[in-house]
Amino acid sequence: MRARPQQVRSDQGKPASGQWLRAMIYALYIIVFVICIYTGRHYYFTLNRLFGFQRHPYIDIDTADWPPVTVLVAAHNEEKVIANILDALMTVKYPADRMLVIPVNDRSTDLTREIIDKFVEGFPGRIQAFHRVAGKGGKAAALKDAMENVTTEVILIFDADYIPGAGLIKQLVAPFFDVEVGGVMGRVVPMNAGANLLTRLLDLERSGGYQVDQQARMNLRLVPQHGGTVAGVRLSALREIGGWNENSLTEDTDLTYRLLLNGWKTVYQNRSECYEEVPEVWPVRIKQIMRWAKGHNQAMVTYGWHLLVGKHHATLRERIDGTLLLGVYAMAPITLIGWALALGVFYQGVAPLHGVIALLSLTAYAALGNLAAFFEIAAAARLDGTRKRICLLPFLILGFAVSIFSVSRAAVSQVSDLVTGAEFHWDKTERFRKVL
Amino acid sequence: MNPHLAVAALVGMVSLMFALPLLPALLELRRKSDALPLSVVQQNAGEIRYFADSFRTYIKSLEPTMQGCVAAGTTATGSLPDGEEYVVLGRVDEPLVLALQQRDKTHLMMGADIDLILPDDARFSKDIYAGGQFVGGEKNNFRAILGEKNVHLGAGSRVLRWVHAVGEFTAGLGCNLYGRISSDSLIRLQAGCRFLRLNAPRIEIGRVGVGPEAPSLQPSDAAPMARRFLHDGDFEVQPGEVIVGDILIRGKLHIGSGARICGSVKSVEDAVIGDGVAVEGSLISARKMRIGPHCAIHGPVIAERELAIASGVQCGSFEHPTTVSAPRIEVEEGVTVFGTLWAREHGQVVEDNMVASQ
Repeated sequence: MRARPQQVRSDQGKPASGQWLRAMIYALYIIVFVICIYTGRHYYFTLNRLFGFQRHPYIDIDTADWPPVTVLVAAHNEEKVIANILDALMTVKYPADRMLVIPVNDRSTDLTREIIDKFVEGFPGRIQAFHRVAGKGGKAAALKDAMENVTTEVILIFDADYIPGAGLIKQLVAPFFDVEVGGVMGRVVPMNAGANLLTRLLDLERSGGYQVDQQARMNLRLVPQHGGTVAGVRLSALREIGGWNENSLTEDTDLTYRLLLNGWKTVYQNRSECYEEVPEVWPVRIKQIMRWAKGHNQAMVTYGWHLLVGKHHATLRERIDGTLLLGVYAMAPITLIGWALALGVFYQGVAPLHGVIALLSLTAYAALGNLAAFFEIAAAARLDGTRKRICLLPFLILGFAVSIFSVSRAAVSQVSDLVTGAEFHWDKTERFRKVL
Repeated sequence: MNPHLAVAALVGMVSLMFALPLLPALLELRRKSDALPLSVVQQNAGEIRYFADSFRTYIKSLEPTMQGCVAAGTTATGSLPDGEEYVVLGRVDEPLVLALQQRDKTHLMMGADIDLILPDDARFSKDIYAGGQFVGGEKNNFRAILGEKNVHLGAGSRVLRWVHAVGEFTAGLGCNLYGRISSDSLIRLQAGCRFLRLNAPRIEIGRVGVGPEAPSLQPSDAAPMARRFLHDGDFEVQPGEVIVGDILIRGKLHIGSGARICGSVKSVEDAVIGDGVAVEGSLISARKMRIGPHCAIHGPVIAERELAIASGVQCGSFEHPTTVSAPRIEVEEGVTVFGTLWAREHGQVVEDNMVASQ
């Protein structure tokens, strides 16, 4: 089947530009093809989680000669939440003489410093404050500066709004007994899930992302993503890859790929769960997802080509999955372009694939393709043992709509920043917990 | 039909069709019937003694009754706060025990210093608390046992949920130990026993200490920071070779007899460890692993599929306990594990030389 653009006329009766129309159609084919790949990927992951072999190789390590560990708590104006996490860390079941907590107070202007200092006094030798008063903004830059105080081989990282459970530290340390492991990621669970519609949608999204996506990647030996919090990294691996990249907007994605390219694995521990606070208002959520998108796209440009075709230790399946993972945020603008192209081609009077086939394809995609992400989230809810919250699934359209436009906006702004030479700006996510 | 009405009906019906899927969503949004955060276990860190500790707390209110029964040499019956029935024995009375085993819904409690020897084929479907020595007969069936002293199960016995012995726990030939078995001092299993999760400062499988000793381990503090050797493809460590550093093999691994690895080892495919090998760190295979006789492993031993351990192997030490874990484990008599031995799906004690001959 071939389109015959030279015979097509627009509504005004002017001949359509054959070359342009052909280019539009081919671009549309490519976009549809890429979308189909991502659709297949969603189904593959979901079916693997439902019926495949589940890998949890390190979760049974409950007795060991536990190594010394440093827990870094990234904190920038965290007076609302910092006490909660420090309290929780002081009660975890890990040998107290082998765990040092370093709150990384990054230029806070609220009461974060005072709260941390009070904890240092209350737990001498167990908490060591790191107050950063100047320097480049961003979590990666703060962590990089804090590294001068780290001497242990195993480092765990938490954002200040997280509340680790009693067994979490051991669970996150256990994978480091494996010399292949350079990074570890635990599961994030929203604690304010019931606050409003947004938090409930984010709860479902997190469920799909971790319970299905991350665990399927772990099962299939693909590329589980380091999340930069409820996470760990091996000091020798970090040194080997050149430390934290302070120029990255998402230091976690950056870390995942640099570890992978250097022969280190990031592993995901689905049962190492930790509560976090998700945004409760849309503007904060939009800012958050735009930062993630920019950081992810930044990593895609930096590592994408080398990952796919370069000479390094990643396996073929890691190369393919890693590349697809790098492209997830690029898919939003690509989908928007696809919609625009489809409309454009339609109003040029062209029905690619002879109309009938296109209609069938459209209905098939509507039934299976669009459903893929919802299927994934529904499967995650089932695996989590939840019931009624799945009723909210139709509302996810709203979340996706906001995401697709926010992420596309981020991509446009990123390109415009490149042209104008503007620097990336790091936005801290606002907290909603009440001050203790 | 009025055309305006028809259009209105059409619009209404289409709107209804669109709104219908949203109805449950709107109801849930309003009712918030499933809006609590997912349940994340914050305090239970997965300790093997969790059920035993909970049971001890559960029966705490019976302590005075047990003390009274022991002092008077009597028995007492009653109900716990949740309605569960119990019998407290203040003396050993075999006919009474035989009679009790028929009462499936009764917890059996024995006060301090009351030693109990059970007859063969006894069956208890409720939890048992033993203040003194507990000696089971052959082919007994238990749900759970908390023993303040030693607990011994006769050959062919079965435990469905858990056992915790403050003293030693021993199981005779061919016992089936489902669930969690823990001891504060020693666990000893005989040939033919099946197990899932064991934890004790020392776990002995069959006769230990027969034949040559495993090589000594003196892990270097610098080991974790040592260089990492990464090899793509199959790899063989020569017999007697000493390697300083961690080894990561992206293929099959064979470690020759008498070799010593001053670091940790990982193989992404099958691994075969020869006789008398010493590993000062962890030993991990992403598939199957067979550990030959008289090896000594200091760190965790993990196989993602199957693990076979030959006689004379020592995992961990009293000062440095460790975890040995795989979905399926076959372990020969003569193996010692300090810490945890955890078979997620199936663990089996086999006779000496069964693993080596495979």
